[in-house]
Order: sequence, then structure tokens, then C-alpha cells
Amino acid sequence: MPEALSFLFSHAFMLRALVVGGLISLCCALLGVSLVLKRFSMIGDGLSHVGFGALAIACAANIAPLYFSIPIVILAAFALLALNEKGRLKGDAAIALISTGALAVGVMVTSMTTGMNVDIYNYMFGSILAMSRSDVALSAVLSVAVIALFFVFYDEIFAVTFDESFAKATGTRVSAYNMLLAALTAVTIVVGMRMMGALLISSLIIFPTVTSMRVCKSFGKVTAMSVAVSLVCFFTGLLVSVRFEAPTGASVVCVNIAVLLVFSLLGFVQSRSEKSRLFRFKKPLCVLLALLLIAALALPLFGPVRSEADDRPQVVATGFAPYDFARQIAGDRADVTMLLKPGEESHTFEPTPQDIDLIQQSDVFVFGGGESDTWADSILQSLDSDKTHVVRMMDCVALEEEQLLDGMQPEADTDEEETEYDEHVWTSVPNAMQISDAVCDALCSADKANEADYRANNEAFQKELSALDAAFRALAEQKKGQSFLVGDRFPFLYFAKEYGFSFYAAFPGCAAETEANPATIGYLIDKAKRENIRTVFRVDLSPGNVAQTIAEGCGAKVETLWSCHVISAEDFENGETYLSLMQRNLRALRNA
Amino acid sequence: MALIDCKHVSLGYEGRIVASDVTFQVERGDLLCIVGENGSGKSTLMKAILGLKETESGHLHYGDGLTARQIGYLPQQTTAQRDFPASVFEVVLSGCLSSKGRRLFYGKELRRRALDNLNKLDMLPYKNHCYRALSGGQQQRVLLARALCATGTMLLLDEPVSGLDPLATAEFYRLIRRINHEYGITVVMVSHDLHDALDLATHILHMKQSGAFFGTKEDYLQSDVYRVFTGGGSHA
Repeated sequence: MPEALSFLFSHAFMLRALVVGGLISLCCALLGVSLVLKRFSMIGDGLSHVGFGALAIACAANIAPLYFSIPIVILAAFALLALNEKGRLKGDAAIALISTGALAVGVMVTSMTTGMNVDIYNYMFGSILAMSRSDVALSAVLSVAVIALFFVFYDEIFAVTFDESFAKATGTRVSAYNMLLAALTAVTIVVGMRMMGALLISSLIIFPTVTSMRVCKSFGKVTAMSVAVSLVCFFTGLLVSVRFEAPTGASVVCVNIAVLLVFSLLGFVQSRSEKSRLFRFKKPLCVLLALLLIAALALPLFGPVRSEADDRPQVVATGFAPYDFARQIAGDRADVTMLLKPGEESHTFEPTPQDIDLIQQSDVFVFGGGESDTWADSILQSLDSDKTHVVRMMDCVALEEEQLLDGMQPEADTDEEETEYDEHVWTSVPNAMQISDAVCDALCSADKANEADYRANNEAFQKELSALDAAFRALAEQKKGQSFLVGDRFPFLYFAKEYGFSFYAAFPGCAAETEANPATIGYLIDKAKRENIRTVFRVDLSPGNVAQTIAEGCGAKVETLWSCHVISAEDFENGETYLSLMQRNLRALRNA
Repeated sequence: MALIDCKHVSLGYEGRIVASDVTFQVERGDLLCIVGENGSGKSTLMKAILGLKETESGHLHYGDGLTARQIGYLPQQTTAQRDFPASVFEVVLSGCLSSKGRRLFYGKELRRRALDNLNKLDMLPYKNHCYRALSGGQQQRVLLARALCATGTMLLLDEPVSGLDPLATAEFYRLIRRINHEYGITVVMVSHDLHDALDLATHILHMKQSGAFFGTKEDYLQSDVYRVFTGGGSHA
């Protein structure tokens, strides 16, 4: 069995994804035939945007997302139908109005409450991990209902799809069946969009039908072929996503595109062979060719899911700082992996199925434990506590509440009672020392044989950290009374508190938005002018446009500070470390 | 007793009357053509006959065992249909939908009815062909077979030859005549082509904003309405 395949069946979360995804694909294919042929394809797209808006509101109001968004999307579907039938607005305009409207509302609600967090990001682009056990049950019930209703009303759906006027004249309740179709579509989209993403779910509805229409000549065959195409594409797409660590939704759509191209070619060949006597091309041969081509699509799956791990203890760290600590202490005695790939956006990071596998197999797992690591909670529950030693960095140090510095643009939040602790604990060197000690302890208990080496490495590393600490303390003394301006997110709260540096900054450390409002920028420019600040800092890997704007406004230059959360690909290649990056910060602050 | 008895009916939509005082009867075996200019209320009348629209005033009665649901309707084709992946048999079978009742699938009897009607229109060899691959004339015959599946009494045709070439048109009219004569099915046809209508019809209903003309073809040819409509001289 290819590795990607065995991976699929050996993890509960992948099996859940497989079951829900399969059922959703089936529903989408069935409904898609009618929607595409009725020229209603765009309704699917419109509804997925409404679904996004509803999910955003549900998230903000802390309501169970499915129970809230399903009724909303069904209502939207009825509204679209009504607008379409009344003829006041043309169908496409009505859909565009409702879908962009819902998207805008969703974005507004999001930005005013939780910010663009992982949940919202997942609703946009889908997440294979979004399926909880209760979701599976709900999805299964809904899908079975969709499938059953489709088969019970198959003849009616055909009649209504092919010719509304005739069906109406012979006494079929056309609008009732239209509403049924719309409601079923709404349910399918809401259930499916969490896996596929709001932006891609409608493709599941459209692609299989359009693909089948290339070669099939009857409604029944188109329906059956759509179901087959949809299931094959979903399954292949899932394998592709496992094999290449790509998002599931996008993988499924890409496979669909490939199959559509193959079927278009087949359809072309078929029509040519019907017209010319010279060019005989029988149907079974076509089908055979199609199967062969699909098999060819599946070939790249036969490869390793990820390079084989060696016998050394496995350490998995989320960000760059803990990765580097573990690397310094482990030396070549253990294999250290960093989950956040160089250059990756840390605050919307979500582990791939392989990442989860890696964590589950690891001996030591080091993570932050803050706002951007909420995904880790569910994984921790599934960990074998005898095997994996977990280091939660925020447990190693005294925490600071995330706070607003002078001039900072507040992050709107719904939950006032819940204190949010800043998660960038490693920016203070004494914290780094404590974390390193914890990592060292974890490594020692995971791999007793090499304890002496780990202890020695840690001691050497602690010495270097102490030297760095001393350098910062000296600088703080020298810069007393001077303020620094960070025109960016501010991950240096622990750093500033530790050494007594005074900072102005545009956003809190984990703020989702990096688009400053004009008032914030204006305020910071005034500050910089009044205090004669000559350097505006940006944080490494951020777009830096806010810092740039402020710098232009007050005639200062832009310099970079390194947060050590995520590292750029270039720095990673060059073998930069926590120490070397903090040295850069030291120089940058000294020159400011 | 007449199949349809329509007395002093006014038709309109959204409160606007498009035709008033429409009176006519359809007897078993008639071939009635409804003619008139655009906007004279032809399609509104058709909807009223099918029971899809209330009349504003007047009486529209069905008789002789006919109900609105038992009228075999041949609507104008939509662009979506021309490209629809359905087999000829699937399309014709969907005409039996109202007879299917609460059963889950079409029974043997209904399938035979569909095949019979395909045969009546010489389309049986095309049973498994794809609807969208047929010529315009063939498609129209398939839809006619479907309409026959829904009725044993009366057909209502809405501009059935629009978009057909002259040859297909002639062929289609031949079939209409045959259905009317051989199978004794009453036909009501909306047409914008007066020449064809006069060729085919036993009765003519000429729709006008007020005072529509109804009568046999012979009466119609003598009427003022006809003379004005064909531009034959001014108002008498």
C-alpha cells in the first residue's frame, strides 16, 4: 500500500475527513447536476459566501457555527430563489449582491471582534482538521438526508430541471422543488465549506457535472458519472494533499481540473468518431482510456510521505526560537524539526496532517502555548504522555498580559474577562535561559543515555545567553530616557519589560491586522517628530508598509528588528541562530 | 359539452388588463389557432388555460372530463434545453410525471405509454439518442411526444415552429394534423404566423385588447378583424 494511503487510514482525523468529505462530494455531485443544468451554478458560489459571513458571526457571538449558519444559509437560498423568480433583479446580479454583501459583513464582524484568526482563515480556505467527532455525526445525517431526498424525488427533479414551464403545467409544484434543491444545496455547502473552504466549496458542485457532461448523453448517466468523478477526485485530492502537504480543498479542485481536461478530450474524440467513419472510437475504449489517465494522476502518490526519521530522539518545536534552543542543546544527538517553515505566517499557522503525525511520534515537543498555538490543545490530548515530553514555553516563565502601549491600535475583542498573555516569551533573554533549561530537562528524560552531552551543551549555551543578557542591560543603561518606535506588530513586550526599554508601537504582538488606521499612524508620526526619533523599526518578515509610512512622515529611516518567531528562508539557509539574530537587534537598537 | 368554455374573460397582470371580453369554446376534435399581435394577451391566455394564472374577471370552465392538469403542453424551448444532456426517452417519460402519483419510479405501463407516443411521432429509433444532438425539428417532436404522454385529450402548443426551417415546419404541421385527425386529439395552438394558422385551423381566436374575434376559419376570413390585420383596406 502506498504510504500516503496507509497514512490516510491510520489516523482518526484523516478517516473523519475521508468520511465527511466523501459524503459531501456525493451530495455536491447530485445537487450539482441540477444546479448546473438550471444555470444556477452561481447560487452555490453565492451561498458559500453567505456561509462565510454566517460563520464569522457565529464565531464572534460564540454560537455553535453549524447550528447558526445552516438556517441562515437556507434563508439566503430562498431569498435568492425569490429574487430570481420575481424577476425584479436578474439572477446573477442578485447573487453578486448577496454574496459580496455577506462577505463584507463577515469581514466587518471579524475585524471588529476576534480579528483574522485561525478559525476564520480556515473557513476561507478549508481545513482537514476542522472535523470534530460531533461534526462527523451531523454531516453524516445531513448527507444521508440529502441523498435520500434526491433519490425519492429524482423524477420530479429531472422534470423541474429540464423544463419548468412544462412541469408547472402538468401540476408539479415547481417552486416547492426549487426550494428543496436550494435548501439541500445550502446544507451541503455549510457542512462542506469547513473542509473545502468557502472560496472553493462551489467547485465541488460545478466541476463533476461539467466534467460528466463532456461524455455522457443522458441525465441518469450524467448523475451517476458526476458522483463517480466527484468521489474519485475527492479521494485523489486527499491523497495529493497528504503526499504534497497541500491544503485539501485546493488539491481536490486541482484534481478536478485535470479530470475535466481529460474528459473534454474524450468528449472531443467521441464527437469526432461519431461524425467520421474513418475514425472509429468505441465507448468502452473511451472509458478505459479515462481510467488509465486517472490512474496516471494517482501515480505521484506512490512515494514517501515524508523523509524517514532516524533512530535519534525526535524533537519537534513550533517556532524558530524554541527550535534553536533545542538545536543548541541537542547538538547532533537528537533530530530537531521546526514546524513553522521559514517565512511562514505564524499567526495563521495550522499543522498539516504530517505535522500532527510528527508531533505524535516525537519524544520532545516544544510549543508556545499562546493564542496562535490553540491548535496544539487537541493534539496534546491525543499524545502518549509516556513517550512525548511536552514543553510549553509559557509555563516556563512569568507571564505578561498583552497590553496596549502608548499610541497602539487596540485589537477589538469580545471577551473582556479573558486575559490575553503575550506569547513571545523568548524575546527576553532570561526567559530564553529558563526555556532552554526546560528543553534540556525534557531531552534528558527522553534520552537518558546522552544526558551528560545535553547538560554540557546547555551549560555552554547558557553562558552565551548570559553574555547577551549583560550586553542588553548595558545598552538599556546607555539608552535610558530614549524611546523606540516600532511601526509594526510588537512582539518585544517581554524584552522591553525585562530591560526597561521604552517603546511605542502600532499593534500588539499577535494582532491580526497590520493595516493601521490613519489615526494611529498620525499619532505615531507626531510622537516621532516631537521626540526626534530618527529610526522607525519594522519587524522581520512583515510587509513593513506601516513603518515605511511613519518613517516618511517624520523623515526617519526604517530598520529591522528580529522577533525570532519565524525566520526568513535566507537567514535559515545562512545558519542564523537566536543569538545571532538577537545580536542584530542589539546593534540596531544601539544605532537608533 | 365543450372542453373549454371561456366567457367574457379579462386577462392581465399586476392590475393591468391586457385583454378583455375574450369569449370562445373549444369542442372535442377542434384545431384552434390563437393569433394576434405581440402584447395582445396570447401567452397570458395560455397560462390561464393551463390554470397557472387567475383571470381578472369572467368565466373559464373545463368540461367533458378535462382538467387543467390534463392538457398536454408544448412550451417554447429555452436556451438551456438545447444543450441539455438527457436521452430522448428520459424527456418523453417526464411527460408521465403527473400520472406517476406517489410511486417512486415510473411503472411499466407509463414506460409503454412513452414508447407508444415516441412511435406515433416516428421517433422510436431515436429513443436512446441524446436530446441535445437532435435537430430542431426532431427536438420539437420529442417535446410533442412528451406532451402526448401528459394527455389523451388536448394539446396546447406555444409557437411550436419558431426557429424551425421551412422543411421541418411543414413536417411538424403534418404531424399536428395527424394527431388531430387520426388520434382525435384536440389542439390549441398559439401562432404568430397567420398564413400557417389559416392553413391548419378549424377555428381562429384573434386576440385584441378588447373584443377578441372567435369563430370558424370561414367566418374569420370574412371578418373585419382579418381585413384590418392583413392590411386589406381601412376600417369599414
